[in-house]
Amino acid sequence: MLVQRLADALGPNAVKTQPEDLSVYSFDAYSQGRTPKAVVLPASTLDVAAAVKIAREYGEPIVARGAGTGLCGGAVPAEGGIVFSFARMNRILELDVANRRAHVQPGLVNLKLSEDTSAAGLFYAPDPSSQKTSTIGGNIGTNAGGPHCLSYGTTVNHVLGLEIVDENGDVVHTSVEDTGYDLTGTLVGSEGTLGIVCSAWVRLLRKPEAVRVWLAGFPDVETASAAVSAIIGAGIVPTALEMMDHLALEIVEAAFHAGYPTDAGAVLLVESAGFEDDLQEYEREIERIVRSAGATSWRVARSQAQRDALWAGRKGALGATGRVAPNYYIQDVVVPRTKLPQALEAVESACDSRGIKVANVFHAGDGNLHPLLMYDRSEPKQVGAVIDAGNDILQAAVDLGGTISGEHGIGYEKRGTLTRIFSTEDLAAMARVREVFDPRRMLNPEKIFPAGVGCGEVR
Amino acid sequence: MNLDELRKTLAECNSGGRTVEIRGGNTLRAFGTPPARADITIATTGLNQLLTHEYHDLTCSTQSGIRVAEFADLLNERGQFVPIDVPQRRKATVGGALASGWLGPRRHYYARARDLVIGSQIVLADGTLANAGGMVVKNVSGYDMSKLYIGSFGTLGIITRLNFKTLPVPQRRRALIAKLPERTRARAAAQVAGSAVTPAAAFCIEGFRKAIDGEDGIDGRIFILLEGSEALVDRATRDLRSALGRAGVPETVIVDAGAWESFERILDAAIASVGERSLTYRALGMPADAVERATALRDAANRHELFTDVLADIMNGDVFLRVSERDSRAFAEKIENCDDALRSLAPRSVIAAGDAPIRASLNSWGAEPSAMAKMRALKAQFDPNGTLNRGRFAGGI
Repeated sequence: MLVQRLADALGPNAVKTQPEDLSVYSFDAYSQGRTPKAVVLPASTLDVAAAVKIAREYGEPIVARGAGTGLCGGAVPAEGGIVFSFARMNRILELDVANRRAHVQPGLVNLKLSEDTSAAGLFYAPDPSSQKTSTIGGNIGTNAGGPHCLSYGTTVNHVLGLEIVDENGDVVHTSVEDTGYDLTGTLVGSEGTLGIVCSAWVRLLRKPEAVRVWLAGFPDVETASAAVSAIIGAGIVPTALEMMDHLALEIVEAAFHAGYPTDAGAVLLVESAGFEDDLQEYEREIERIVRSAGATSWRVARSQAQRDALWAGRKGALGATGRVAPNYYIQDVVVPRTKLPQALEAVESACDSRGIKVANVFHAGDGNLHPLLMYDRSEPKQVGAVIDAGNDILQAAVDLGGTISGEHGIGYEKRGTLTRIFSTEDLAAMARVREVFDPRRMLNPEKIFPAGVGCGEVR
Repeated sequence: MNLDELRKTLAECNSGGRTVEIRGGNTLRAFGTPPARADITIATTGLNQLLTHEYHDLTCSTQSGIRVAEFADLLNERGQFVPIDVPQRRKATVGGALASGWLGPRRHYYARARDLVIGSQIVLADGTLANAGGMVVKNVSGYDMSKLYIGSFGTLGIITRLNFKTLPVPQRRRALIAKLPERTRARAAAQVAGSAVTPAAAFCIEGFRKAIDGEDGIDGRIFILLEGSEALVDRATRDLRSALGRAGVPETVIVDAGAWESFERILDAAIASVGERSLTYRALGMPADAVERATALRDAANRHELFTDVLADIMNGDVFLRVSERDSRAFAEKIENCDDALRSLAPRSVIAAGDAPIRASLNSWGAEPSAMAKMRALKAQFDPNGTLNRGRFAGGI
């Protein structure tokens, strides 16, 4: 009956119920959830509203899903229910070049927005490494970051307004320039628990006139971390400031032949965008700082091709890890930038003591670590060791004054750990917001907030 | 009042059925509506300490009652800043600036102050302390509650602490000022907004002569603030002077010493009142049509025989229109019809300043946003007794 009602409302091709179809929607890039009862592919906001009303009638929970590139189970069903896929709502509805903004549908692939606005001299700044596949809707759900959010800010800084459908099936419009509460800012990063994003107004930036990319090699991650602190401490905020350790370099170089030095203990990939007049001075200053911090090599990417190759290696690091290990677990924690050396030490000791191979490739300028813990899922002992190590790393970040997620969200995987950084009162304030948008907890239930169910059940 | 006293007082009022007005520097008291009822006033100005400045991390944490200018001076000691561009910076508090959601003119260049907040602490109506965010620059752990509190006009709780990402102070600052005949205005604005090197702020100004003490005359003027490296400011100067020349602007004056003070006077002008015979409307909109919108609003007010002063932010699209008369009685006679005319052009414009008694009969917040029902529900969740700044906000919240 449920399926028939959905098919009547959205059209028969917009509802999937075959087991082989449904299983695809039961996991993301890391987590395994439950198989949904149905997957719907709405083509419009009205479709979304109609499907929400039907789901509500049948008491079925709703999970909105972008491309499923998340790592914390945010887009996988914890309780079955209905998954909303936005594959058919993937267009730019309006491009306003004069005011540098675009009205887009949630299923639009992140990179496509920049590609399609490039001819107008514009780009969309948030650039998660998954940008070739991840969608604007999913990015809004997690408040996605990316290497360049160091200077441009994360997704929330680039969303100007939203059209959402709430749990009641009502369409709600928000704009950062409306009077009243900043619902837009509150909704971004709420992981689909407050509403389903049906379209968004986003800010576009003018493409920089000049870009420079530099690569500094270091004997080890400690000196590279010190260089990060020295750059930031000198009041220089590059457009991106990324670190890769020795193992990450080997993995990336084997896969991409991007020109990374495999004899270095760590490298910093630094980018500055802006004006040629400034960049020359920046180059001198950054080179001086990294050399005095202990850099053993310094390279300037001279051409667009060289820059692209370096970035392709950096953004493809996760995928390349699949070549050397059957499985990997990626942790996403943030520490104050000056605490990077201690945080990396904690990563090393958490992994070494358990015999886990770990590669570090991360947003150093933001203090956002992404250790890749390699293991074999078919070995239960390894799975347990990796979970324990991930947990230790997370606790170390908390102990260093940091936080438990920088850009991937809490989802299902980390909800048990939210109490490590927030008190009951802090969480109660969040629950008040949930009460307004989703009083019956039908939107992406069992996510973000701790509950009686442990993480083990969904895995 | 320290934090504990504040919590205790608020909790007592909340349980005793008394309403509370929250006050920072009291500079934006005429923005929107005053509280409908306030049994007592809680001032945050006792919470005036910069708690930490982790300058190596480019972050800081401050109590909310610190004055904006003092906060800026303290950060400046380490060559850093947070762009909180509000009127009357010496009086305004950081908490008030954020609670009012004031949109500053450098936001297109650096980010809104809201975007640089990485954490906050709020006292809820029942005295409970709730924290949000933290001291790291990237954080997606739970809802970003700071976003909800910023711009909530103290109707959900009292912001007591704010943590910010700081920015390095630009090497150089310069203002470019030119007389702007009306016929050149739209083209000049388009040239400036489209310039390769983006100004930190740019305004078309007409009137506000007392507030800004410029020699603008009847033609009005353009004010451009440049911030950045030496090289960038030099290049912007060359580019913009020739761009303005192409738009028919005869002469551009460079101001180095005093550029910041001029900018501050423009910030102040946004809420500058001439007593009980003026009101200032703020109409937000698209940057590309800021000048056109400003002109249309001004003409409408002139048709109602009111004096006008206009401030148009050509980088962000904000328009401030001050309408005035010779005395408050004449003003009161004309403003109601004029208000209708302005609202038909800019339905969501907000009355941002002015002490004319007649404003009590006008709708200061403009047309309600479409998500008003959700906003009312949020108020009911956070402040069920209606203790905090009752009636201060849009939709009577």
